[in-house]
Amino acid sequence: MSENQMTEATKTAGAPGEPYRGTTTGTESIVTLSKITKTFFRGSEPIRVLEGLDLDVPNGSFEALMGPSGSGKSTLLNIIAGLDRPTSGAVRVAGADLGPMSDSELARWRSQTIGFVFQSFNLIPVLTAAQNVELPLLLTSLSRADRARHVATAMRIVSLEDRMHHYPRQLSGGQEQRVAIARAIVNDPKIIVADEPTGDLDRKSADDVLTLMERLNKELKKTIFMVTHDPAAAERAGVVRKLDKGALQ
Amino acid sequence: MNLATYARRNLFRRRFRSIMTVLAVTVATVIFCLIRTLVVVWHAGVDEAATDRLATRHKVSFTMELPKHYIDEIRQVPEVKAATWANWFGAKDPKERVPFFAGFAVDSDSWFDVLDEMQVPPDQLAAWKQTPNGVIIGDLLAKALDVQVGSRLVITSDIYPGDWDFKVVGIYKPLRKTADRNSLVLRWDFLNNDPRAGFAKDKIGWLVSRITDSVHSAEISRKIDTRFDQRDDQTLTTSERAFNLSFLGGFSAVLGAFDYGSLIILLIMTLILANAIAMSVRERTHEYGVMRAIGFPPRHILGFILAESVLVALVGGLIGVGVVVLAINNGIGPVLEENMSGFFPYFRAPLWVLGLALGLSGVLGLIAGAIPAWRMSRLSVTDALRRID
Repeated sequence: MSENQMTEATKTAGAPGEPYRGTTTGTESIVTLSKITKTFFRGSEPIRVLEGLDLDVPNGSFEALMGPSGSGKSTLLNIIAGLDRPTSGAVRVAGADLGPMSDSELARWRSQTIGFVFQSFNLIPVLTAAQNVELPLLLTSLSRADRARHVATAMRIVSLEDRMHHYPRQLSGGQEQRVAIARAIVNDPKIIVADEPTGDLDRKSADDVLTLMERLNKELKKTIFMVTHDPAAAERAGVVRKLDKGALQ
Repeated sequence: MNLATYARRNLFRRRFRSIMTVLAVTVATVIFCLIRTLVVVWHAGVDEAATDRLATRHKVSFTMELPKHYIDEIRQVPEVKAATWANWFGAKDPKERVPFFAGFAVDSDSWFDVLDEMQVPPDQLAAWKQTPNGVIIGDLLAKALDVQVGSRLVITSDIYPGDWDFKVVGIYKPLRKTADRNSLVLRWDFLNNDPRAGFAKDKIGWLVSRITDSVHSAEISRKIDTRFDQRDDQTLTTSERAFNLSFLGGFSAVLGAFDYGSLIILLIMTLILANAIAMSVRERTHEYGVMRAIGFPPRHILGFILAESVLVALVGGLIGVGVVVLAINNGIGPVLEENMSGFFPYFRAPLWVLGLALGLSGVLGLIAGAIPAWRMSRLSVTDALRRID
C-alpha cells in the first residue's frame, strides 16, 4: 500500500454505518479456482471436504462466504490464501499459479499478496500494537524509518494512532481486531482474507470492524474474501456465496 | 523493532518458568565449573611438573626405602646436573591448628637447589645449615601455626614417636602457583641421627634429579635404573609428572568419575532446558502458525526458537560464570588455599574452564532447542493455526 493511497483513504473514509454493499463490478478475476477437491484422512478413511469446486472472485470485490460448520469454508479460504493446497484442481490468485510453488515461495507470496484477519485477532501479546503491525514489514527490505511511516499510516487508517504503544492486553476486542486489520493492510496486499472477523466481537465493535473493511474495499480497492456465520456481516458484502457439503450453492 | 526483539521478548513471557530455567542452567554451570576446577587443581601438580626433573623410588613400592648411598651413584650419571632426596616425616600439629600438612626430612645442602619453585632467603638457608633441628616452612603454614623465624615449633609424627622439638629458621615462598605453601622441611641428618628413627637408619624415601636434557628423560631414567638392576633394592625412575600421577593413584578413578559427573550435569541441564523450550513452543504453536500465515518462512520460526533457547542458556551460563568468579575464585578458593594448601595449593577456576562452561551453555542451548524448533518449522500452517492451548 502506497502512503498516498493510504493517506487518501484516511481522508475520504465515509462515516461509520454509511450504507454500502461492497464492490461487485470487477472486470477481471483475482481468484480463479478450477475443479478444486480437498480430501482429508481420518485414519485411513477419506473425508472429501471440497468437491470439484469452481470459483471466480472479481478484482476489487467484497465477498462473503457462508455455510454450516464443516461445510469447507475455512478450507476454501486457506486454499485461496495459499495456506493449504487442494488435493486436485488449479488455484490462480493475483496472477500467480499456486500449484507449483514450494512452501518457502508460498510464504513469500503470502507476505506480498495476502492480508489476514482472524477471528481471535491473533496479535502477538509480547509486542505493542505498532510492533504487531510492523511484523509483516520485517520480511521486506524497507528501512526502519520507512517501516515506521507505513505503520503510522496503517494505524491512522484504523483510527488507532493513539494506541500505537499499547500491548494487546491493554486494548478492547474491537481495538485488537482493528490492529489486526492494520497488520493485514500494512504491506499493501492485493487480497484480504478474513476468517470470522466479527466472531469474537460484540455488535458495536463488529459493526466498526465491518465499516472499516468496507472502507478498505471501497477506497483502497482491496479485494476482500470473508468467511462468516454472521448474517449482518454477510449483508455488508457485495456478493454472498453459500457453501454446503463442499459445493457452492 | 527487529526479529531479535520477538525472540528477546519471548524470554520472559512466562517469567517464573524462565527464571527457574535460567536458575537451573546457572546451578548446572556452577557445578560444572566446580567439578572441572577440582579436576584441574588435582592435576595441577602433575600438569605443571618440571620437565627436567626425574623422581626415583623403590621399584616395588613407594613406601619402601632406598639405601642413602644411591644418591652418590645417581650424581655420577653424566646427564644428572643435581640430585637430592627426601623422607616422608608424617608431620602433625599436636594443637591441631592445621588439619593436615606435609613434612619431609630433606638434604639441607641440595633440596632447594633442585626444588627451586620454593624460594628461601639466603640468610635463612645459611642459618638452616647451621641449625640441626631447624625447619623451613611454607608461608601459609607459618601463618596457620602462628610462628615466625626464630619461633619454637613442636610437632608429632605418624611414623616417628614422641614430640619433635624444632626451631623455625626460615619461611619459603612459592615461585609457582601450584607449589605447596603448607609444607615443612626438616634436616634429614637430624632425623637420621635420632634414635627414634633408628629403624630407618641411612635410608631415604625417594630421590629427585635435575637433568641436562628433558627431551631424553626416558632414556636417562632407564640409565639410572640400569645402575641398580642387580642390587637388592632396585629403582624405578620416572619423570616428575609420572611420579606425581602415581601419588594420585586410586584417586584418579574418583577424578574420572567426577569427569563423567560434570557431563551428566550438562546432560541434565540440557534436558531441563529442552523441556522448558518444548513447553513454551507448544504454548505458542498457534502464534507461530499466525506468523507463518503472514509470510514468515520456516527458517525464521526455527531461528526464533533456537535464539530463545540459546539466550536462556547463555543468560544462565553467564550468571553461573559470574557466581563462580565471585564465590569460588574470590571466596572459597582463597580460603581453601590458606587452610588446605596441601590438597589445594591453588584453587581458582581457570579462564578456560569459565570459557568452556559458557561455550557449552550456548551449544547445549542450541541442542535443547533443536528438536522443538525443527518440529515447529515442519508443522503445516493450517495445523499450527488449529492448535489452541
